[in-house]
Amino acid sequence: MRKLLLLFFSSLLLFAQEGGYTLGEGVQLGSTPIYLGGYFSLQYTAQDKVQSYDFDDLALLSYGEYNKFSYMAELEYKDFYVYTKTSTQSVTYRDDTLHVERLYVDYTHDENILVRMGKYNTPAGFWNLLPINVLRATTSNPYTNELLFPEFTTGVDFVYSSYSDAELKIDVMVQHNADLDNDYNNYEMDRHYALGVTYTKSALSLKLNGGYFHQIEQTSALADRYYLMGSARYAQEKFELMGEVGYQATKEKVTTPFAGYLQGLYHIVPKHDAILRVEHYENALTGAQDSFALFGYTYRPLYPIAIKGEYQLHSRSKSDKILLSISVLF
Amino acid sequence: MKLLVLILLGCSLFAQEIVVIANPHMRALTKGEIRGVFLRKIHIVDGVKVVPLNLEASNPLRHAFQKHLLHMSLSQAQHYWMRQHYLGHRPPLSKHSQKSIKEFVKKIEGGIGYIEASNLEEGLKVLYRWERNE
Repeated sequence: MRKLLLLFFSSLLLFAQEGGYTLGEGVQLGSTPIYLGGYFSLQYTAQDKVQSYDFDDLALLSYGEYNKFSYMAELEYKDFYVYTKTSTQSVTYRDDTLHVERLYVDYTHDENILVRMGKYNTPAGFWNLLPINVLRATTSNPYTNELLFPEFTTGVDFVYSSYSDAELKIDVMVQHNADLDNDYNNYEMDRHYALGVTYTKSALSLKLNGGYFHQIEQTSALADRYYLMGSARYAQEKFELMGEVGYQATKEKVTTPFAGYLQGLYHIVPKHDAILRVEHYENALTGAQDSFALFGYTYRPLYPIAIKGEYQLHSRSKSDKILLSISVLF
Repeated sequence: MKLLVLILLGCSLFAQEIVVIANPHMRALTKGEIRGVFLRKIHIVDGVKVVPLNLEASNPLRHAFQKHLLHMSLSQAQHYWMRQHYLGHRPPLSKHSQKSIKEFVKKIEGGIGYIEASNLEEGLKVLYRWERNE
């Protein structure tokens, strides 16, 4: 695997030198329709009496298109190096497994219909579509995103889009097989049927998602889950507002009565953003519930480089935390 | 009255008409579809692969086009394309002049670009036009 990594970075450097390379845009593999890129992030977390330093999300991207077909491959070291320190001990953890984060082929039938096959980011909500540190607003992800639905789906996504004054997109997702990489998903599951409808008109986007998934290695009463989620985003040149709210249940009981957040991002001056997020969730299975506010600040010397800081103020005791990170898209 | 005439005359002098052009084989596209083509959401129209063309990033006509049709400033567009890199999509090709856009569009069936209306010539189909007031 290390040889593959070495080969990848050698190719990246070689082709970056040949063409005019711009950070954050990847490189073309000679004159082929294949592009290479990647991203990584370094993160510091301090919570209660625990501090951790993570070198995670070291990922390699490759994509390209030919006629009506295109592909995307993303391989990632999730926890490349993690150092955790408490008042009594320190632990170093390394995961050398190269996970398959995304691997899919798209077939574009015409201007309205696209079929995606493989492992892809579940197109639920807005946050889950751009989940990597360098592209998202804050170092941390909302809990809402992790609680409600499987972040990845391995199967087929039938996409219908129409473009008039407003844009309408309908996703029909079907998974009826094992996950391509079970370790790299928030739910281990073998079935996922879901529907998503997105409506966009100039600066406003609205989205509704609903679905069912079946978890493996879960007691039968909790294996089948249903979710419903609504999302909205309003983006202007100076600011962006985004909110997502949802619910999850089995046939017998409600597992997540409520999870949702509202986030405002303000571009103070070019390269400097201030973020405020308020979030609340209730997890009926664990009995956990929390309300918290997040104050974040992001400095982007260049857009594909993000230096972020955030402070989370929680209603749960000892959950307040500080996160700092540097992330790069290349 | 004279003042009003002068203002109207001034406005018309500084108004610049911009047109989105395509190869004559391309069917008529709505404003939303043109936006979809330039944001690389639409890749194929009537079975033909579409090839959107931009002017270089420093060209004021590109800024006007992005603002009017894509509803994006230059920095918003740059951010959009970096996010698209993660999603596996490339930005449109860039051409250094309106002349090279016209030549490309005439030759390539799926070619689509934008130029000043005063540079229009035969062999180009106008998909959309609007007036830009400086």
